[in-house]
Amino acid sequence: MALETLALLLVLGAPLVTTLALFSFPRRLQPMARWLAGGAAALSLAAMFALIPALRRGDVPAIALNWMPAAGIQFDLHIDWLTLPFAITEGAVTLLAIIYAWGSEANDERAPYFYGLLLLFAVGMAGTTLADGMVLFYTFWELMLLASCALILVWGHASGSGPSRRAVALKYFIFTHLGSLMVLVSLVILYDATGTDRFSALRAGVTLAPGMATTVIALFLLGFCVKMAIFPLHIWLPDAHTVAPMPVTIMLAAAMLSMGAYGILRFPMSIFTMEQMQPFAVPMMILGILSEIYGALMALAERDIKRIIAYSSVSQMGYILYGMGTLTYNGIAGATLHVIYHAIVKALLFMVVGLVVYVTGKRNIDEVGGLARRMPVVTACAAIGIMAIIAVPPLCVFDSEWMIFAGGLETPYVTLSVITIFGSLLTVAYALWFGSRIFLGKDPAETTDTTLGPVSDRAPARAKLPLAMVAPSVLLAALAIIEGVFPAPLFDWVAHELPMLLGGRW
Amino acid sequence: MSPDHTGVVLPFIILVGGAFAIYLIARLVTSRNEWLAVLTAMVFGAALGALLALGRAPGSAAPTWGTTMAGVSGMGSVILQADHGAVFVGSIALAMGLCVAVYSGRYLSLDHRYRTYYPLLLLMVTGLLGMVMTTDLFNLYLFTELMSIAAYVLVAFRRRTDTSIEAGFKYLIMGTVGTLTLLMGITLIYRETGVLTIPQPIVAPGVWARAGLACIWVGLGIKSAIVPLHTWQPDAYGRAPSSVSALLSSMIGPFYVLLKLTLALGFPARDLGLGLMVCAMVNMLLGNGMALMQTHTKRLLAYSSIAQLGYVMFSVGVGLRYELPEAVQAGFFLLAAHAAMKGLAFLSKGVCHFYDHTTLVEQLRGTFRRLPVVAVTFSIAIMGLIGIPPLAGFTGKWFILTEVWRAADGWVYAGSVVFLLNTLLSLGYYLPILAMLFSPLPTPDTPPPVQVSRWMIVPLVALALLVIVIGVYPGPLWRWAGNVLTF
Repeated sequence: MALETLALLLVLGAPLVTTLALFSFPRRLQPMARWLAGGAAALSLAAMFALIPALRRGDVPAIALNWMPAAGIQFDLHIDWLTLPFAITEGAVTLLAIIYAWGSEANDERAPYFYGLLLLFAVGMAGTTLADGMVLFYTFWELMLLASCALILVWGHASGSGPSRRAVALKYFIFTHLGSLMVLVSLVILYDATGTDRFSALRAGVTLAPGMATTVIALFLLGFCVKMAIFPLHIWLPDAHTVAPMPVTIMLAAAMLSMGAYGILRFPMSIFTMEQMQPFAVPMMILGILSEIYGALMALAERDIKRIIAYSSVSQMGYILYGMGTLTYNGIAGATLHVIYHAIVKALLFMVVGLVVYVTGKRNIDEVGGLARRMPVVTACAAIGIMAIIAVPPLCVFDSEWMIFAGGLETPYVTLSVITIFGSLLTVAYALWFGSRIFLGKDPAETTDTTLGPVSDRAPARAKLPLAMVAPSVLLAALAIIEGVFPAPLFDWVAHELPMLLGGRW
Repeated sequence: MSPDHTGVVLPFIILVGGAFAIYLIARLVTSRNEWLAVLTAMVFGAALGALLALGRAPGSAAPTWGTTMAGVSGMGSVILQADHGAVFVGSIALAMGLCVAVYSGRYLSLDHRYRTYYPLLLLMVTGLLGMVMTTDLFNLYLFTELMSIAAYVLVAFRRRTDTSIEAGFKYLIMGTVGTLTLLMGITLIYRETGVLTIPQPIVAPGVWARAGLACIWVGLGIKSAIVPLHTWQPDAYGRAPSSVSALLSSMIGPFYVLLKLTLALGFPARDLGLGLMVCAMVNMLLGNGMALMQTHTKRLLAYSSIAQLGYVMFSVGVGLRYELPEAVQAGFFLLAAHAAMKGLAFLSKGVCHFYDHTTLVEQLRGTFRRLPVVAVTFSIAIMGLIGIPPLAGFTGKWFILTEVWRAADGWVYAGSVVFLLNTLLSLGYYLPILAMLFSPLPTPDTPPPVQVSRWMIVPLVALALLVIVIGVYPGPLWRWAGNVLTF
């Protein structure tokens, strides 16, 4: 047991201690800030994997401390099957984003703060998943917001015509905080009903007046949908994702959005029964479809390549909400799998976008083109990412979408399922358009310049790319294939989570 | 209730004696600011110790001291009682006084008029302590005047700047109207009942007693900045030296006395609760709305105090209306937490002003480069006021929400929605401060970091730690805030 306690402490402790060290001695630690950050993220991820054997044995590794005994508020951390997929996704994304940052961000005197805040962001997300008490959950939930907002505020790159990074950070904070407050209201109502803030007490059953239960579920769903950027609560996302520096964008899109999905699974779906959740099934599915289609259409209309991928997140989160809204085994399992797979694919696509911007210095899709000749490896990665997000078998997203659609067809609302399936055609449209415009065809900058002789004679120079930016992309592309072909281990994780949901009907 | 507990009068002896001694020392022995600051801090510390010792005194009855003149209906007698609420409210002001005195050891070096400043600080807190500990209406008036007169002078302390004279003058006029209205109310009540002792439930209040109570509300409402009687506060807090603003924002005596007195005069707690709930909404909306429009940092913080008082009034009001002592407790918890957070914010702002002459929010840009420690403490204060967990403000709001909803009443839910929306509204002015603190200056040549004086760093760090500790480990303060107001 002691080893597991240590591992659980390390998950949060390693990044937290590193952050404190980086903030306390920024000048002395500046040369090795990136190594420290990477090491801490790796240690945190390794500690999560070290906890899996205990889960397989049927234990629930936990740390329990009395925090505010008078109020029944505990400082409890635990890891269970519901936590595991989200925690590991978050840990892996953090590690890759930090490695990517080695290449994409300048190692100047602000680097210790940058890496410290990245780690703090990761602590917020890991703590959100590990917390076993409502106050602690909310604390980490807000830490996540605070750290990411600081990163956008100080390191953001606003485009010339768009809003300033201060305006974007303010909008991001206020909008997300609105969601947090809705969650807080529900948490406080549940706390008042049970007298304790532990999740286990909540799972044992909460007696609420019927109207109150509906209010709590509705507020939870709304609050978490803000975090997931579900249409029409998504308006913070495109600006925040576009303005944030690339490693932060990767963490926002691949890890933080899915914290909303975690919240929905952890609170309404774990606490309430199928009968109580049933009235929300159709609204969730409809919101999911709206998000899916709206996000894809906006991605089609967008010119800024970073915003295209940002809107694609709105669309993909729609699938996740839809899958959870089906309230079927396959739908929920598919939604959880989609969280993991979306993280892989979205991180990959943002890394590719970052590399394109790194090489060309341009973000407008009209100004780039023909990059396949200049960066073949990146093009291959992008191709895998694009095919994956389209859900071409046997790439990973295919598995999860299969499950989500299967869950949808089990419900009586077949029309909605058909709309979802055909709605995914729009994904094909924007993804292929995105890939072909950037990597195929001619570079518009080259074709206009004819003074150097005929264009076809000139061999475009291979772009020199930092290994720290390419290696994570290649790794993710490989993962997208491996996970698609061998999804069994992940299915196994997710299958363990389902008995915890909706009153344990599976 | 035997009036012979001499320990009760000890804090007064220390404070008043200290005030005279420090004035004499400043005239005759040394006028070095550092020495006077240390002496003042010692006086505040000793008085705090004496007051806290009373809180721990054995026995259930509150320690009491005084002289009575038998047969003259309480006129001319002085009876002081250190009940739990008085110790609570007094200790907060004394503790903040301690921080402010140390802070002034460097902060005041620009102003040079040490020998009036420190005795006035001590006398102002003496007045507050007397207000909360006295048991008759006449002495209540006297102590209120003592506190107010010291406060007028301190607000206008920077007499070379016309804005601070203006603020002090406005405060003087409004404050005098307040104390005179209070005196009028006391007279009217005395006219009807013929006694001045405070626990005197008026069973069937006549017209004079009603009018008197109304006058007392207006008088103390001005002192505690309840909308629409708040207009002096943004000017006073905005123009006073930051150390004085910090101390003023921790002096929650008038609000406490307003509640205690109203209940002691037999006014139904339910009706008082309703009135507070209604006023709370106005306070929140007006405070936050006006704060959104401010460009001057300290005025902004002053309006934020009005809003925060609204949150407290909401919680206390619900507690009184629905007989939930824990909701009142939550209100006083937030009031104490707010004193620490707002004090920290004002003191941090003061350091920025001391080194860089910043007054506007816009001018806080680049603070993190120039004064890193101050940027961190200031942001802790602001994040606490926003209610970011696990800082003190969040814990206070959590307690308020959890306790208030036990009332399970539609009006309370509606009020809570206003409360939460106001929290959201307040982000609009708190976040720009945070953003400014950590934004780099637009010009490439940033002035080098300043070595901030230890006199200022120590109170800032102590208060910042306090804000964190109250948030993370709220148990002791929560228990202490219980039974502050008995009803």
